[in-house]
Amino acid sequence: MSKKPAKGEYIETDTGNKVSRKCQIVGSTNIILGGKTIIQAEVIIRGDLIRTLPSSRSASSGAAQSNVAVAIGRYCFFSTGSALRPPGKLFQGQFSHYPLKIGDHVYVGPSSVVEAALIGNHVHIGQGCVIGKFAIIKDFVKILDGTIIPPNMVIPSFSIVGGRPGRVVGEIPEGGHEAFDLRELYKTIKNS
Amino acid sequence: MDHFTPYTYFQCPCTDNSISIRNIGHLESTRADHDDEDERTFDPKAPRANFSLYPLDHLLYCEICHEIRCPRCALDEIVTWYCPNCLFEVPSSTVKSEGNRCTRSCFQCPVCVAPLSVNSEAPAPTGLGAEHAGPAGPFVLSCSFCCWSSAEIGIKFEKPNSIFSQLAKIKNGGDPILSAKQRRLDREERRRDFSDASIPEDAQEVLPLDPNEQLDAEAQFSNLKSFYQSQLADASPASALGFGGEYGYGSPGALTRIMGLYTGGGLADKRSQSKSTPMREACDATEGLQLAKTNADEDLAKLRREGWEGTVSKEQRCEQAHEPHFVSDLRPIAALLRTKRSKRCKSCRHILSKPESKVQNTRFRIRLLAMNYIPTITIKPLQPVLPGQSSLLSPMKPTQFVLTFKNPLYDAVNVSIATPSQTPGRYSSKVTVLCPQFEVGAYIEDAWDDVLREPGEKGGEKERRRTRAETFEGQQQAEAGKVWESGRNWVSVVVEIVPATVGPESGPAFLTEGLEQDNSPMKEDEDILEIPVFVRLEWETDPAHDDGLGAPVSKDKEAKVKRELAYWCVLGVGRIAQV
Repeated sequence: MSKKPAKGEYIETDTGNKVSRKCQIVGSTNIILGGKTIIQAEVIIRGDLIRTLPSSRSASSGAAQSNVAVAIGRYCFFSTGSALRPPGKLFQGQFSHYPLKIGDHVYVGPSSVVEAALIGNHVHIGQGCVIGKFAIIKDFVKILDGTIIPPNMVIPSFSIVGGRPGRVVGEIPEGGHEAFDLRELYKTIKNS
Repeated sequence: MDHFTPYTYFQCPCTDNSISIRNIGHLESTRADHDDEDERTFDPKAPRANFSLYPLDHLLYCEICHEIRCPRCALDEIVTWYCPNCLFEVPSSTVKSEGNRCTRSCFQCPVCVAPLSVNSEAPAPTGLGAEHAGPAGPFVLSCSFCCWSSAEIGIKFEKPNSIFSQLAKIKNGGDPILSAKQRRLDREERRRDFSDASIPEDAQEVLPLDPNEQLDAEAQFSNLKSFYQSQLADASPASALGFGGEYGYGSPGALTRIMGLYTGGGLADKRSQSKSTPMREACDATEGLQLAKTNADEDLAKLRREGWEGTVSKEQRCEQAHEPHFVSDLRPIAALLRTKRSKRCKSCRHILSKPESKVQNTRFRIRLLAMNYIPTITIKPLQPVLPGQSSLLSPMKPTQFVLTFKNPLYDAVNVSIATPSQTPGRYSSKVTVLCPQFEVGAYIEDAWDDVLREPGEKGGEKERRRTRAETFEGQQQAEAGKVWESGRNWVSVVVEIVPATVGPESGPAFLTEGLEQDNSPMKEDEDILEIPVFVRLEWETDPAHDDGLGAPVSKDKEAKVKRELAYWCVLGVGRIAQV
């Protein structure tokens, strides 16, 4: 393994995404990055787990829709060793994966595994968490370190979640909204 | 426990009131001249201190009273009730009638509190058109975290929706529960029988209900209530006509009786004298009587058979309404509703925060945050901790910290800070603020552009100053009476701390005089160095564009209003290394 100091640690895209050279992105054509998102080393994103079951309501436009496996908004931060996997389930006898949608300003802590169906805006997921299949996390949610969110759980806005299984243990105070902003964190990541 | 993040907690001034009750004059002295506060310093290690300290983001600010408002001096008002699982709004009338649980299909696992999902027990349909066929019953509630299923308690559902109402009709094991309506019909039947044949023994023979059945708490209550209502009605014939109404006011008969009471007519008196027949007590399950089980053989046998695994834990039991002993008696827990709340100032009733009423909307209509009115205070070591170094403070070694005040107001603020020279508590550290008085510049309007464009941009100037300061660090020591660094709306001052010796046998160096040495073992977090700081702010403001947003516009533009605010803060500096 030869280190190449000329190349930085991150590959920077036109929209400001900084993707580590040491991360594993599978099926990159099925992943949408909104911009200014940081993907650190050893992050795994499974874009290959696309939806195989045709959507019943959008049969015609389904072909274009179903190609997205992971959609990520702006100013997201995926720490070292975290993993994003689109959730999958058996539906009417057929197994299929479903897209994983992530909003803006979402922080995923080191070595956390995310298999949610939807993560809103301004969500902080701590270190070593497991977000179960088809979980729905709304805006302004903080998930404490080591939490295991059971599958299918819905977490409403302004919740602080902790424990195994995860349960709502507190509320985000009125003044705590600004702490979710990840623009400052984005600037601290320098390509060196 | 090497990791420690420095923190700043603010004490809401509302807590001073409770202290002043015990020590009269304390409040006045702290307010009037802060120099006097040496007499009584706030002790962050006091048992009660924890209840009055809040991080800045928990605090609100009342623009009418010009005071900080904490969760203890703000009133909560419920804006919306909603289910945290299905996110449906529940009208408050439904909350009153149905209780604070979701009445749709949202349930929690009684074993592990994870959400339950409705699953079909039948195999997936196969063959032609299978993908269009809906799942077939029976359905069970199953937990995907601990694999509990409602089939374990013998409950299966016919439909996948409105589980709440289906569950209300099924006992554990699958037997139906008589609804309140059925019970009422039954009672009416019984009452008719009573009136036909006055001997109750005869009437009971025609009852379809088992007089010895085990009732749940709700059914027992409704049975008891109706029994005593009928007893009251029988006892006072005047109110018999009004039976059925909540308090018996709903009929002409009852009204005349009540009016008779108030007008002093002899009618009611005569009646009350005449009815001396004692009331009968409930005597079976249909009337709400439940005999305590004296024979626990059944339970004992079950306990032997199922063992420890078959019993419920304390946490599981607390979630249940009927206090079960066995796992087989557990019932799915309906999701507890959650609320959106607005906050009001307790003294002037002005609204401090008000969220949008829609469940999915995360905006706030009003949000008067203390962090927009009082400076934020951050503390960090002057010499940055190197990655390999321990972040613990070494005892007896003077350490310098940088205290940064950042002003959110549009007016320059004069800040005076005061600390006790020795921190209160058993392990008393020496604290010296090198510059206790300074002015923090205004948060200039122009900065708004920066905020809207890139909030970090305005940090450029700040960062430059800081790096310059760091280069000076070698030759220039922090000077007493001078500000260490400053920016447009922030000022940093240096605080010198000599941490105390913490440990079982702490040295005599900084023990508070007058107290004999307390040799009890160290309590939790007693090795954290916390400094109480009294902060006093003074500023002049234009009432027209008062402290920023949404202030009432007044006509006299010339008059500058002088404002002041004083409060205690606690700075958590770090842990002291133990010797």
